[in-house]
Amino acid sequence: MSNSIISLKNVTMKFGGVTALNDVTFDVKQGEILGLIGPNGAGKTTVFNVITGVYQITSGAIDFDGKSLSGTKRYKITKRGIARTFQNIRLWGDMTALENVVTATDTHKKSGLLSGLFGMPISRKEEKRDKARAQELLDFIGIGEYADRLARNLPYGVQRRLEIARALGTNPKLVLLDEPAAGFNPSEKVELAATIRKIRDAGYTVLLIEHDMSLVMKVSDRVVVLDFGQKIADDVPNKVQNDPRVIEAYLGVPEDAS
Amino acid sequence: MINLRDKGADIWERSNRIERTFIALGFIALAASLPFFGGTFLNTPIADYESVLVYPIAMFVLMAIGLNIVIGKSGLLDLGYVAFFAIGAYTMGLLGTRTSLNTWEILPIGIAMAMFSGVILGVPALKLRGDYLAIITLGFGEIVRIVALNLGTLGRSEGILNIPTPPSVFGVEYSFDSHRIYYWTLLILILFAIWMVRRLSVRRAGRAWESIRQDEDAAELMGVPTFKYKVWAFVLGASVGGAAGVFYASKTLFIAPDNFTLQISILILACVVFGGMGNIWGVILGAVILGYLPDRIRFLSDARLLVFGLVLVIMMNLRPDGLLPRKKREKPLPKQVQ
Repeated sequence: MSNSIISLKNVTMKFGGVTALNDVTFDVKQGEILGLIGPNGAGKTTVFNVITGVYQITSGAIDFDGKSLSGTKRYKITKRGIARTFQNIRLWGDMTALENVVTATDTHKKSGLLSGLFGMPISRKEEKRDKARAQELLDFIGIGEYADRLARNLPYGVQRRLEIARALGTNPKLVLLDEPAAGFNPSEKVELAATIRKIRDAGYTVLLIEHDMSLVMKVSDRVVVLDFGQKIADDVPNKVQNDPRVIEAYLGVPEDAS
Repeated sequence: MINLRDKGADIWERSNRIERTFIALGFIALAASLPFFGGTFLNTPIADYESVLVYPIAMFVLMAIGLNIVIGKSGLLDLGYVAFFAIGAYTMGLLGTRTSLNTWEILPIGIAMAMFSGVILGVPALKLRGDYLAIITLGFGEIVRIVALNLGTLGRSEGILNIPTPPSVFGVEYSFDSHRIYYWTLLILILFAIWMVRRLSVRRAGRAWESIRQDEDAAELMGVPTFKYKVWAFVLGASVGGAAGVFYASKTLFIAPDNFTLQISILILACVVFGGMGNIWGVILGAVILGYLPDRIRFLSDARLLVFGLVLVIMMNLRPDGLLPRKKREKPLPKQVQ
């Protein structure tokens, strides 16, 4: 367990009478790509939301990098090294692609409002450094030529990729990707799979929610399956694929068999 | 309609440093020479032209720049901006009449008081969003006015009389009727405010405000300390309003709660929206027009406000984003990816 970067222990999340996550326990190991799958409403995005502090969990514990995340403010969770993308794209549309990423890099700036106002050397230095870093990230994700375009006007696929670049801009240890391939055609999905591996190879740990089974099975080192807020499987892809409970969750049980 | 913003931005972008300096100096010279146009078509019938330049025009411009930080940059609807103006003015009134401090010494105190009240209002209010924030700020604006109306030290409805004018600096005398001197001083304050906003816009603070305005939740999840920057926006907006207030009190020599009604907040908000939220040049243009117009058409007497309202309605229909909307330009994409 020593090499796990984040671990969820018996996490339960209740919204009034609805239990979105029920006693979920799993961890993500340093440097792996963990696929998180499950039918609609299984609680996948809720997992992201409890990790990033959008919701406070009802019970259980989440440890990141050896320390608890409970009660940490959202932006501080990001600063500690967790970044995410959104299922429905939430870029800042009136900013350019580059500005979107630079804003994410601001997370780790030492200079704030006053040093910016008075043009302190540290502010200038950090501005220059992070602009270069943001451009690097756009190039890394393969959308470098769109740097000066407003995010709002970018093609859909580029926006999805920009979300990833922005998440990487916060210099995270763990990247949460929420359905990055939604709306992609098969060839774009292949490209994305390569990008996700490239991200892992660059030293990031990836937790991936995805509906496209072939993509998940192809890129993930391990897959966790949720159904109705409960974990029903946690194993390598080809074992998960043949797990009867997983098949049941996705396809249902034939009536005569039950 | 011709796109003035894009045209202007194009010219600016194509110019080099020296040309830019000349353009900027040209505009400053133009603004500074406005008091000399009293005899032309610009003249305001009935009201004294030079005094109109000081209040409302220059005051409105200054306040609109301040409010634009809050509303235009950060997207926080503040309906009680007049409160900071009032706090600056009453600081001047109180200290100016009861202590031996002069206007220049009170100016930083007034700004500090306004900033402090920005924190007092901001910390509880900025936990709320949208309509709720608007209602709280609206209430704050009224509270400040009503406190002034009921507090004996602040003169109740009689206000504060005999507020001293600023002492002379470098041989420049400030007397009650030397409007152009006040106007030029305000111009310096305005230039300082513009410098501050433009500086911040391209740095971390500007990006934080932009991201908060566009998607606050996403901003927070991307590591932007949203609350801190929202309070900063309030505080900086308040500082500009406070500076305007100090100067206003020192110019009119007499302040009363009636000078700080909700109407002022609404008017400044109208300047920002009319000119173009988030674009400092638009906001300035809006404030100049909305400050000037009511006095220019004063000969219409009672129909004046009707015409003023009509102009607002028509313009907002023609240009819903304001006269000079915020930047929406982008560099053309290189050929191969188009």
